[in-house]
Amino acid sequence: MKLKLDKKDFKPFLQTLMDEYDLFAPVQLAEGVSVFRKIDHPYEVDLSASNTQKPAKEIFFPQSETMFRYEKVGNENRMTSMEEVKRERILLGARPCDIEAISIVEKVFAGEECTDVYFLEKRKKTTIIGLGCNHPLSTCFCSSAGGDPFLRAGSDLFFIDLGEAYFVELLTEKGMIFHKNKFFKETNPKDLTLVKELEEKTFEKVGFSIPVDGIEKRLNLMAESSFWDRIHEKCIGCRICTYLCPTCHCFDIVDEGEHQRGQRVRNWDSCLSPLYSLETSGHNPRPTNRERTRQRIMHKFNYFPKNFDQVACVGCGRCILYCPVHFDIRQAIIWTSSKRPKRFGGGTI
Amino acid sequence: MGNEIEKTWEPKILAFLCNWCSYAGADLAGTSRIQYPPNIRVIRVPCSGRINPLFILKALQSGIDGVLVSGCHPGDCHYISGNYIGRRKSATLKRFLEYLGIEGDRVQFSWVSAAEGGKFSQVVGEVVQDIKKLGSKKRFVKKENSRSLGVEGQEKTF
Amino acid sequence: MEERSKAIQDRIRDKTKELLSKKAVDLIIGFGEGSLPLRTTPIFIRSPEDVDRLIWNSFCENNLATYLHKFAQFKVGLVVKGCDARSTIALSLEKRFKPDQLFLIGVPCQRMVDRRKVKRAMKGEILRAYEQGDQIIVEGEDFKKALNRNDFLYPSCQVCPHRTPTQANILIGDPVDESPITETHPEIVEFEKKSPEERWRFFEKEASRCIRCYACREVCPMCYCNECFVDSSNPKWIDKGPSPSDLEFYHIVRAYHQTGRCSGCGACERACPMEIRLTYLTQKLNLDVRELYNFEIGIDADALPPLSTFEIDDKQEFIK
Repeated sequence: MKLKLDKKDFKPFLQTLMDEYDLFAPVQLAEGVSVFRKIDHPYEVDLSASNTQKPAKEIFFPQSETMFRYEKVGNENRMTSMEEVKRERILLGARPCDIEAISIVEKVFAGEECTDVYFLEKRKKTTIIGLGCNHPLSTCFCSSAGGDPFLRAGSDLFFIDLGEAYFVELLTEKGMIFHKNKFFKETNPKDLTLVKELEEKTFEKVGFSIPVDGIEKRLNLMAESSFWDRIHEKCIGCRICTYLCPTCHCFDIVDEGEHQRGQRVRNWDSCLSPLYSLETSGHNPRPTNRERTRQRIMHKFNYFPKNFDQVACVGCGRCILYCPVHFDIRQAIIWTSSKRPKRFGGGTI
Repeated sequence: MGNEIEKTWEPKILAFLCNWCSYAGADLAGTSRIQYPPNIRVIRVPCSGRINPLFILKALQSGIDGVLVSGCHPGDCHYISGNYIGRRKSATLKRFLEYLGIEGDRVQFSWVSAAEGGKFSQVVGEVVQDIKKLGSKKRFVKKENSRSLGVEGQEKTF
Repeated sequence: MEERSKAIQDRIRDKTKELLSKKAVDLIIGFGEGSLPLRTTPIFIRSPEDVDRLIWNSFCENNLATYLHKFAQFKVGLVVKGCDARSTIALSLEKRFKPDQLFLIGVPCQRMVDRRKVKRAMKGEILRAYEQGDQIIVEGEDFKKALNRNDFLYPSCQVCPHRTPTQANILIGDPVDESPITETHPEIVEFEKKSPEERWRFFEKEASRCIRCYACREVCPMCYCNECFVDSSNPKWIDKGPSPSDLEFYHIVRAYHQTGRCSGCGACERACPMEIRLTYLTQKLNLDVRELYNFEIGIDADALPPLSTFEIDDKQEFIK
């Protein structure tokens, strides 16, 4: 169902959402820095950034999450598991790349063989309102990775910014619940034409220049290639790429506590940290940055597709934008292929 | 209710005393029956140079209202030069903490020798006075078992 | 500025070609072209034919001394600015590499341009940027603007006390005048005028954005501990998650561990994805060390680090 929401009604609309749901949307923490947060007031919502620093997966897989709490009261040990989600949630303003990434992470956390209750509870109780990308950045390569700036898949509602209003599409059963929202209006043919124009323009802009297609097969032959000796050189193992990546899902579980009480916590971790693969014996199967960089690229483009038929990269470009030494994953992908556009430094690493 | 608590609030102060001089000085104050405020909790260290700045920060983070570090007078260190090194660490740390906004009087340093029982009690008295004036410590304290500012926004406590 | 950069670029290429041809070094670490505007990237050259990939401009912001830990087994030729050279001296004081292992190619620095500040000044995405004289020309889809480079320098570069590398094996370009602005550190002076409450609020707000990615630590040449204090579980100083006071603890200690070792390069601040202000902490520590112990890292290759030595008459007015 296709509807419209005038921008002047946007804040009251948000209030109607907040009356019944916990609303999560991008907020600006400092100029140029935005993350997803639970909204307390409609004016906090800021959809102006092309993408947030921290990805939307945070809503389902928080950076630091209490799994359960325990307390010793008298002779009794009380444990409270923390996966319950009390109120239904809405995730507003996630870009199609982030939404696709959530479904990638879901394959791991809510797969056939194992279910992560913490992730799944949140996922089940969340309605996703996607936001189309009118201005993809030059670092975006979602189309090469199987997505596109207006991909609807994964969203329950989808918004497209038309300037004075948002075009709203209700896509799923969860989305259809909103068709009675008093701020939604009928669209007119001009709106639909504008949407089509935007979609075509941006689709062309993002293009297909990165040879993600077929990378799994190419990497099969490269496990011991000297390529890895060179590609890792400038990486300093800072972990920014893994923390800001919407599909990365490694974690570490720790206990925090004192005598009488404490909690078990799950925190994000990164395969680029030397401690990540360090075993108790002292042996580290990934002793240097070379092995760790190789692992990262192989996991995303070879191991994950082998298990789940999809590359674990959505082309959001955050790793390119925020890497302090300007490691460009597009260059790495290009180097594995014989097609090497000059734009990305040709064939040189 | 709030005022009552304020009146009865007593600061908790951690005192790191070097074994050879300041700790002995504190002992002397005790055996000489010299009164000093009971707000300090003593941790004995071999030398004032042993103090890792992280000790002081950890103490402040745990809610301690003030820290006192006391060692041998310059030239008297049992380990010859430990207190000289400690002096440099103390100077740089104190300035840095003040710069950050943690009140300067919360972290204090002194030289107290084994014979200076009187000085020890005087120093403790001054430190307790200074910290009472500052009030209980609120900045930089880790809330017990709290979870951080995540997507949920507010800090959740146990 | 642009002409000077080109001249330096040519001389860097000549010199590195010579070094590699004579096998005086195994490896050259310098700056190369980035795939994004306003950026360069560290490159590793092993053969004389590749030296043309080396460039020099106002975006050569990385501190390449941090790679010395990774390439400790090679003889390395390193392109360094003033701050980077001082970091290598700091590392040699701490015996992180053998004395004849390093060949420093020093470039007197023209102060680097803050790419994030430039990005914030423009409304749309910058697709192309280049230097023209003393200006940075930025182009986007529907704009083209000339910016004065002096308005967009990194905070650490604005107050840099030593832009000319001391102790370099060779200096490319003439030494630059060290400007007087460095003596007053205006930002610190302003900051110290605020009340403790205001200062703490500022620090608290900055640290609250931290995501514990440790980019600041990895990018810093002086952070090379095999076990960082954050990873210590016995004693456990701080928890792993982003609890507000742990974030503050981390930043206080990381900065403090740089006392007397930090060259003020600002790499930590530039690496931070959440744009946390960090240099105002380390600059204060550098100022204190200079005032208290008359010590500045990287100037005298033999001066001992201040916290590992002492003077009988060190200042002690704060001790009862």
